[in-house]
Amino acid sequence: MFGSLKIAMVAILITGIAGAGMYVMKLRSDNAILKANQLKLESAVADQKTLIENQKKDFEDILDANNKMNELVSVLKKDLDDLDKRFNKKNRDVGKLAIAKTESIERITNGASALATRCIEIASGSPLTEKEKNATKKSEINSECPSIANPNYVPY
Amino acid sequence: MPRANLNLDKPTPLELENLRWIIITSENADEVFKKLEEQGIDPVLWGLTDKDFELLAKNFAQIRNQLKITNDLLDKYKKYYETDVNDTNTKK
Repeated sequence: MFGSLKIAMVAILITGIAGAGMYVMKLRSDNAILKANQLKLESAVADQKTLIENQKKDFEDILDANNKMNELVSVLKKDLDDLDKRFNKKNRDVGKLAIAKTESIERITNGASALATRCIEIASGSPLTEKEKNATKKSEINSECPSIANPNYVPY
Repeated sequence: MPRANLNLDKPTPLELENLRWIIITSENADEVFKKLEEQGIDPVLWGLTDKDFELLAKNFAQIRNQLKITNDLLDKYKKYYETDVNDTNTKK
């Protein structure tokens, strides 16, 4: 009887050790899965961060482009208003002036026409010359469209 | 998979000819036509009143503005969608 008890105890001990071993192996397996999941999560978080950063940069670029386009529309409108003023400033009548000072007005008209022609070239994408880029004085600028022809000119 | 960039070349900038305006009044008309004949130019002119000349100048200014806006808009789209675009608006 004592022998049978001993055998039962050994069997229980062996079963216990085997169970513990299997439990440890399962824990290891679970741990590996958890580590893999952790890596996937970290990678997903990093991807999301990059995505958010890219979206933020895109948003800033869109805002910047919109602001620049609005600025451009505004300065072009000013050029147009200035042209209107040149014709009508202080009730000026270009027709009467042309009758009184025909040669002068013809010369002024041809000068302005050449400048306006250059403005269209610039608007179509023609690169600015160094002279146009460096113009800062009224006498140096293209008075028909300083906003696009003379980036360094500040009206005074 | 992202679409390939369109990468169309921008239109070639315009190179325009300068034209000559001649102002004719009732007083100088004979002299103007005589000068044209002396220069071997047909004595015929297309005329505008001072008001129409003003309108023509304003129309051209509006066309110019629209051209500039469209051109800049194109640059902005290219810059946004095709990041390797170079700024070509500089000439020596």
